[in-house]
Amino acid sequence: MDFITGEIVGILLFFIGLYGLMTKKTIVKTIMSMSIMESGIFLFYITINYTDGSVPPIGQAQEAAFVDPVPSALMITAIVIGIGVTAIGLTMFMHYKQKHGITHWSRNRNQTGSEH
Amino acid sequence: MPQTSRLFHIVRIAFAVIGAAVVLFLFLNHSEQLDTPLMDYFTADFLAQTGAQNSVAAIYLNYRVFDTLFEALMLMVSVMEVINVSWANKHAEQYKFEKDDFNRKNNSEIVIRMVGIIYPFVLLIGLYIIINGHVSPGGGFQGGAVLATALITRYLVYPNFDLDLHTLEKLEKFLFLSIVMTPVLYVFMQIQPADTTLSHQIYMVAMNSLIGLKVFSGLSIIFYRFVFYEGR
Repeated sequence: MDFITGEIVGILLFFIGLYGLMTKKTIVKTIMSMSIMESGIFLFYITINYTDGSVPPIGQAQEAAFVDPVPSALMITAIVIGIGVTAIGLTMFMHYKQKHGITHWSRNRNQTGSEH
Repeated sequence: MPQTSRLFHIVRIAFAVIGAAVVLFLFLNHSEQLDTPLMDYFTADFLAQTGAQNSVAAIYLNYRVFDTLFEALMLMVSVMEVINVSWANKHAEQYKFEKDDFNRKNNSEIVIRMVGIIYPFVLLIGLYIIINGHVSPGGGFQGGAVLATALITRYLVYPNFDLDLHTLEKLEKFLFLSIVMTPVLYVFMQIQPADTTLSHQIYMVAMNSLIGLKVFSGLSIIFYRFVFYEGR
């Protein structure tokens, strides 16, 4: 089980989200796929440049090497931005659905159901 | 027609699988060992330079404070969008809240009792994470999210819409102004006293508190808008 690292799982999650974006015609599922892609990117970045035995970058004790703090500091802002993007997408979807009655990426207005 | 759509389906699955395989192959076989100059610079002497013992807090509050500014702007823009673009603004007459609806939905005695016990501890740990964000794992973003959990548990116990969201939105805009002004004055323009050991600590605690309150108000506004306006 040595090959299951955070980077590989992150890449797989990204492509699972890309598959959802390509195939699903429901708008809510598109937003969910975007969130899954975001999670893959977060996981990839958080586990990048990790070596065994390193300590968290807190304090000045240098008995072991620090973990890279740069990806953590980048992802801590990216997670909040991801929440904002998801909220914007869901609100625009609700507005669109109430105004035009469309829940799918389709020209057929009467298309319903979740099997797409 | 179903034949071609099935063909397209298989093509899409093949595209995703082949893309994942190619990226994984490149990542595993051609991973180039890069230097980490940013990490070396940020972890070399961050306690003396920024006054924070947590290096992540040192990065997002001092070294790379631009990221934090624009992240705060992004959250505020999303909150303004959630409030102003909503369809329920122009059609508020269809969004009457029925009291019976609330009473019927939330009648779990166990949840209400347990949340009443947990509620002060949630507030306590949120404030602890915010205040100690620069000396221990934590910070404004995480503590703000924990504080927003307190308002969500309040919704579980008492699902009523007497919360003034406009006051929260004004508070968030004021907090965003403070978040912009504090690093501009302290970090960029270097308005600091001669001995910066204490003022760095005060700056860290103040910025973490501002960010925590801002994330708290933003997430609470998004949650309450979604629960009470977008939920039909």
